[in-house]
Amino acid sequence: MRAFPTAGDGERGAAAGAAFPRNWGRRRVAARLCALALAAVAAVSSPVLAKPQRVVSLNQCADELVLRLADRDAIASITWLSQDPREADMAAAAAGLSVNDGLAEQALAYRPDLILVGAFTDPATVALLRQVGAPVVALDVPETFDAVRRQFRDVAAALEEPARGEALVADLDRRLAAAEAPVDASRPPLRAIVLRPGGFTVGPGSLVDEIMRRAGMINLAARLDVGAYPQLPLEKLVMLDADVAVVDDEGFAAPALAEAALAHPAVAALARRMRFVSLPSRLWTCPGPALADAVRVLAEAGAAARRGRAER
Amino acid sequence: MTAARRPADAGGRPLLLALAGLTLVAFLISLAVGYVRFDLVGALEDAIHGRDSLAALALTELRLPRAALGAAVGFSLGLAGAAMQGLLRNPLADPGVVGVSGGAALGAVVAFYSGLAAALPLALPLGGVAGAAVAAIALYALAGRGAGTMTLILAGVTINSFAGALTALALNLSPNPYAATEIMFWLMGSLADRSLPHLYLAGPLSLIGWALMLSAAPALDALSLGEDTAQSLGFDLARLRARLIAGSALAVGAGVAVSGAIGFVGLVVPHLLRPLVGHRPGRLLLASGFGGAIALLFADVAARLLPVHPELKLGVITALIGAPFLFGLIDRMRREG
Repeated sequence: MRAFPTAGDGERGAAAGAAFPRNWGRRRVAARLCALALAAVAAVSSPVLAKPQRVVSLNQCADELVLRLADRDAIASITWLSQDPREADMAAAAAGLSVNDGLAEQALAYRPDLILVGAFTDPATVALLRQVGAPVVALDVPETFDAVRRQFRDVAAALEEPARGEALVADLDRRLAAAEAPVDASRPPLRAIVLRPGGFTVGPGSLVDEIMRRAGMINLAARLDVGAYPQLPLEKLVMLDADVAVVDDEGFAAPALAEAALAHPAVAALARRMRFVSLPSRLWTCPGPALADAVRVLAEAGAAARRGRAER
Repeated sequence: MTAARRPADAGGRPLLLALAGLTLVAFLISLAVGYVRFDLVGALEDAIHGRDSLAALALTELRLPRAALGAAVGFSLGLAGAAMQGLLRNPLADPGVVGVSGGAALGAVVAFYSGLAAALPLALPLGGVAGAAVAAIALYALAGRGAGTMTLILAGVTINSFAGALTALALNLSPNPYAATEIMFWLMGSLADRSLPHLYLAGPLSLIGWALMLSAAPALDALSLGEDTAQSLGFDLARLRARLIAGSALAVGAGVAVSGAIGFVGLVVPHLLRPLVGHRPGRLLLASGFGGAIALLFADVAARLLPVHPELKLGVITALIGAPFLFGLIDRMRREG
């Protein structure tokens, strides 16, 4: 995935620019300059030029990074998802900001000088935004903590806030160091499995897998099928005989078929033999300092599981 | 029904015994096949002696409900297919083709996503039954009384697409943003990770439906000779219709509510068995029930054995086998004019 727009995006923008009102021409030139500048920044990493002043985020994870890294005045719009009160931290920071539903038309209405989209933003939306010459930064889904740090720095660079990016990386590393389970070679790691809605689990090659490892757990999904998100029929779950099952039981308020598996009598029976640990998916869905909280929650639950087993 | 009659005992007790035996075999295979191999005998002993082993848990809480639901839903689909084909005197009548399954899915979706099923678990199968009943009544109103194949299929297409649109509407209105995604797979039918409570919910309603449909066997035989003949033989056609529509709505509605919509079983199975019962629609009922159970149990075994992950949906497997069959059937009907 390309993290930065290149001059080529500006070229395509020039072709499409004629369809827009006159003042769009100026915007287009500015956008093109900005894109060129960003490319230059990426190439020689020298801090130059003005910071983006009207940043629009079309992705919930990008919202969090923008809120943490950009000046509040520079944020033109974030997604409506970030004002959901269930995610209290971000909702407080997002209160009062203008919100969008992730549509290209809404994004362009802000005359953005930087647009952040996610890996799964509608490709048609992204193509349209690139076409009109707006600088677009697409965030991928990091699969390791190294990739998370890289994403912090990339977004900070796009926002012309490299120092804040370094601070965010340092904050994450400090919290991680405090949260991680101490390595103790005398104890084998806890054998754990993640239960995701809809009968899926999380395998190797995912951020959750690394979170589990840092919390002193070994992910049993590695023994199942290949792939980062393999299917886990309940029968396989039962026979795995794991020590710990990691679930997100904060869940939906609304009825969801995906949650039916957790209500299955076989799962209730399993709860007598293995420990169910609640790890809210909001802690690890987006790259941010909350990832360290996810490690802490899991490490504490693991310690409790060991104590429980010792008592039995 | 123009085919020549077989001797009077064709499709009698030996056939039914053989089909029942095959159903039992398929049920046992379904119990024995799964994602994980374990010692079945040991698991059974643990379960009987109440020992708390993982294998016993997998056997009693996962494989048993799956196999039992497979048998029950398959029986419902086969029986309802035979009953509708007898009632409408049309070999293309099948709960899936004519929209009864679609109506049942709509009813179940509404019951589930409105939160009704969470407050009252019985609302789920009852929602399925209500949806199936509305679809069956609409079908009979549109295409009843020996209407042509064209009318029947058009009515089925209409009911199916209307039910599908209403299902999409219900999902749009659901407060769960992922409802549309998760239901897309549910609608294709599956027995994965079903539980004994599902069986307790759907079982009794299905049993009532089976009894209603099976009790109509003599009247269906008479109906194959024409409505006037059936009436002159003393059968009340209005009651026969009511019984078959209510019966198929109960059985298919309750089944679809727990398994999702599974097509083609009710179409293919009666068609394969019809020659074996001397083309008598009354005798076809019970035979098709067992045939449907066998077909669905084996389809579900295949779903678990095929090296495709996530596992294929049951409706996909039955459609892969059933759709070419339907093409062949339509082709033959066209040539026979």
